[in-house]
Amino acid sequence: MDMQYANFPYLSTLLIVCIAGLFTILFLPAREQNKIKWVGAVFSGITMVISIFLFIAYDKNIGGLQFVERVLWVPSLGIYYFNGADGFSLPMLLLTGIVFFTGVLSMWELDTRVKEFFALYFLMVTGVFGLFMSLDLFFIFVWYDVSLFPMYLLIAVWGSTRKEYGAMKLTLYLLAGSALILPAILYIVNVSGLKTFDLVALMAPGTLTPLQQKFAFIFIYIGFGILAGVWPFHTWSPVGHVAAPTSVSMVHAGVLMKIGAFGVLRVGIFLCPEGWRYFAPLMAVLATIGIVYGAFVGLTQKDLKYVIGYSSVSHMGIVGLGLSTVTVEGLNGAVYQMFAHGIMTALFFSSVGYIYDKTHTKMIPELGGLSRVIPVAAFYFILAALTSIGVPGLASFWGELVVFIACFKVYPVLGVLSICGLVVTALFMLRVVQKTCYGPPKEHHTHIRDISFAIGIPRMILSVVIIFFGLFPSFMFDMIETASSSFFKGLP
Amino acid sequence: MSVNAAVLAAIAPLMAFFVTLILTRKRPWLSAGISIAAVSISSACAVFLLFRHWEMTEPVLYTSTWMVSGAISIPVGILLDPLSLLMLVIVSGICLLVQIYSIGYMEGDPGFSRYFTFMSLFAWAMITMTISPTMLQLYVFWELVGLSSYLLIGFWYEKFSAGQAGKKAFVMTRLGDVAFLIGILLVLVHAGNLNIVEINSLGPSETMSPLIITLAVLLIFGGIIGKSAQFPLLTWLPDAMEGPTPVSALLHSATMVAAGVFLFARLFPFFSLSPTAMAICLAIGTVSMLLASTMAMVSRDIKQVWAYSTISQLGYMIMGLAAGGYAAGVFHLTTHAAFKALLFLCSGVFIHALHTNDMFDIAKSNGRGMKIPVICLIIAGAALAGLPPFSGFFSKELILAKLAALDNPIWLIFALAGVFLTAYYTFRLIFIILFPKPGLSDADSTSIAADEAERHDVKPHPIRQVMAIPLIILAAITLVLGFFEDPVERFLSATVTESVSASGMHHGRLAFMALGLSVAGVLLALIEFGLPQSRQIGFAERMPFVYNLFSKRWYIDHVYRYFIDYVIDRGVANICAQHDKKVIDKSIDTFCDGIVESSRFLSFLHAGMIQYRLIVVFATLFFLSLYLLLG
Repeated sequence: MDMQYANFPYLSTLLIVCIAGLFTILFLPAREQNKIKWVGAVFSGITMVISIFLFIAYDKNIGGLQFVERVLWVPSLGIYYFNGADGFSLPMLLLTGIVFFTGVLSMWELDTRVKEFFALYFLMVTGVFGLFMSLDLFFIFVWYDVSLFPMYLLIAVWGSTRKEYGAMKLTLYLLAGSALILPAILYIVNVSGLKTFDLVALMAPGTLTPLQQKFAFIFIYIGFGILAGVWPFHTWSPVGHVAAPTSVSMVHAGVLMKIGAFGVLRVGIFLCPEGWRYFAPLMAVLATIGIVYGAFVGLTQKDLKYVIGYSSVSHMGIVGLGLSTVTVEGLNGAVYQMFAHGIMTALFFSSVGYIYDKTHTKMIPELGGLSRVIPVAAFYFILAALTSIGVPGLASFWGELVVFIACFKVYPVLGVLSICGLVVTALFMLRVVQKTCYGPPKEHHTHIRDISFAIGIPRMILSVVIIFFGLFPSFMFDMIETASSSFFKGLP
Repeated sequence: MSVNAAVLAAIAPLMAFFVTLILTRKRPWLSAGISIAAVSISSACAVFLLFRHWEMTEPVLYTSTWMVSGAISIPVGILLDPLSLLMLVIVSGICLLVQIYSIGYMEGDPGFSRYFTFMSLFAWAMITMTISPTMLQLYVFWELVGLSSYLLIGFWYEKFSAGQAGKKAFVMTRLGDVAFLIGILLVLVHAGNLNIVEINSLGPSETMSPLIITLAVLLIFGGIIGKSAQFPLLTWLPDAMEGPTPVSALLHSATMVAAGVFLFARLFPFFSLSPTAMAICLAIGTVSMLLASTMAMVSRDIKQVWAYSTISQLGYMIMGLAAGGYAAGVFHLTTHAAFKALLFLCSGVFIHALHTNDMFDIAKSNGRGMKIPVICLIIAGAALAGLPPFSGFFSKELILAKLAALDNPIWLIFALAGVFLTAYYTFRLIFIILFPKPGLSDADSTSIAADEAERHDVKPHPIRQVMAIPLIILAAITLVLGFFEDPVERFLSATVTESVSASGMHHGRLAFMALGLSVAGVLLALIEFGLPQSRQIGFAERMPFVYNLFSKRWYIDHVYRYFIDYVIDRGVANICAQHDKKVIDKSIDTFCDGIVESSRFLSFLHAGMIQYRLIVVFATLFFLSLYLLLG
């Protein structure tokens, strides 16, 4: 893999901004709620700008790893502080930047323990940023755990609907995941004999025998797969979504589930391509079950957040299906879908958060006629629903299309089944829209104020991103292509 | 030049969509102006292109790459051939007329601006779809057309039934679209290309065995079934009448539902490769045509009648195409677009003025007092019934001639039966409106109308000019279009050669037979509904069983309802949800409980009581000695 060292450590700057934000919030007095929110908005805004800048500044003609920073950290173990961005991680960094900023704005009306909330929120996102840019196995593991632990508190303290249960379930599941990942990482480092955690060095062909790759891959796949909501390890995710407060749901469904898929890609597929090839059919079957099963379970849910939670299971199945095709197109589609799904669910949870704040319910039968009462908020919700259905012109259509095309060549039957899942998704999404937004408004909801311009900003940003990448998917695909095609060229 | 004009035709409504969506939400009149201006530009471009390429022999093709992902390259571009040029003119022209009409129809509606935003979205999607050079682009815009249809059907979303109908339309067409997408992928995998011109020049080869071709054609036809509301996915269309009437005129009769037929014509040479698939298409077209005609015979709702008749006429077009009549099918599409839009717009005038959809109520409220819509309704009805010299007569003749050329006469017989039924249900409606019978058939009135009192107060006020002008233009087109049969046929055949040549029966005995049946249908309607002594109860309505069957839409909806309720909701979805709760979650929870319990047990052992330790010591010694003794 080619490397382009950066003149300026942009990636570290991104982390430093997050940490600086964290400490600024910690040093502010807790009663200065407004100041804390503004600090949060400014620092997260800066990270979004940096992530957009990185996305644009990346030179697609050269490709490979860029903005690389590499410092030996622990010489005796071969641990490096090694950051770099390529076509896979830049979309994820962009996604994180956007969801981070819009998430802060979506919590503008929070008034309980504001300081603690934003501090933990910043800590969590620092971990996410770190994971996406890190190229050292040790750091990947550390960042993974940094991003998970604040989640427990964020849900258990600020959540709703069985929050302790949801938080505990989520944490246990994800810890089980990391209990699989850590041995796999140590195993890879040990059997390679290179005495380094450097991912790029470990990627050299022939480092691991095919058998070792298969062994390591299945651990990594399940470990990270739990986080990606792979069926049958998905049940933590809808419960967690439901329990979490708005912006945590946004980061949780929008970004954290992507960490899982990204981990499978970055650690599993990069280091164990043979294992990947060997287990690809299994991945495809699990993904297809996830797509169809998630959609059907979504059909029966009464709670808005559960509906979105199960639709996430279904959509993450599409990511898994893309990864399982072992083709350039499949990888492209999967990464694109990760991005699109992240933005889409962020918009979803952001809109539902507003609806919940105002109506104090997220039970579908208790809602109705929102398009009349709060037309703008309902517009964002419907837009998210249409994106989820996969309407062309909105971001997730292209990801699905490319994955299906790739899948149809490799696994025609599974491809057909997954495509049929689209009808079920359409059915339950439109049902939800019909029951919540259409029809006559409920009497006790008629006084609700519609979303104001300022409060609407996060949804506006997310909508613009959805429509932009829905109309011009090539910006994203060209980016991903640089990474996936060079990755396939490097394969033996 | 041509390419620029086509791009402009497509882009103008898109611009109008974004401008009206974002900037002019609060200024409804400005939105309407922008939207109409945009679609005027499109129509002007369309007409310009049609004249410029009237003598064309080679299609104009322009593509550029929109997006690349590995080996998948998704081009975007323009294909101008006789079919797309004709369709372009139809779509943009009717869009323009309907949008002008809508100014009058939708005035005062709180969603006036939103309405024009959605209309622009539709215009963009539909226009771009007609000029698509590849199947994938066609599919993308096909879906977008479906989206705008969903939004427009559910336009009055506060009405529960409107939202419901929009959802039904979207899901049912989606079902067809899934088949369509799989068909496209099948073609892509086996032919390696989705370029329409190249697909049409394909022949059976090593990669495309006849079986694969048949399968692909049938899957693509699935999309047509959904979009054009053919059997068995036909029930969404009558429900779609919940939308505003101009929407029904534009989307659900003249243009969008005709997109299915357009797709058939678009891939006509490819479809022709598989005689088996063509036979199935023919059968489905016939079944839809007859079923929908029978449903139309007993409906009281004026828009429902036209909706059924749309299904039935689309069935005709598919029959014509499936019988090998490329020009016949497309020409019927053209004439149908004009006269069906006219029928809906006339009905819209009644509905707008009298606030009812029920034809008996319209008659009672003196609907016939409105001169322009009544005259236009009769002209369009005559065209639908296939009476000369109106356009429908000529195009239907073409299809019948094609069917007559087939070996099996059964299709022709069915088609002729359809001719009779069409004339009957059309003139049933016209006579009911023309000759109101106070006091009759009032008892079982299932009127959709508002208050009884309010209805009788309404005096039909003179039709507004902005609504009258589109009617007059469409009526004029319906009058003269039939005489353009030969030039249109020649224009269309420039790039596609038909497999079966026109038969000699055209305009001969067959024409008289069809005409005779039409007249018979009209006469029967006259006897039952038009004469002073007639009781306005049709022959089908006198037979309870038949009446039920027809008015319940042959129980097709019941089957779907049952399927959704029992198979999807209470079946698969429920099983999956229960499995999630009771198997996956339960096993995890049990596992965790097990760990907690076993930890408790272990901690119990650590209670520090000497008895337990002694027991353990003794037990160990016992088993150890046993092992040593026996070992």
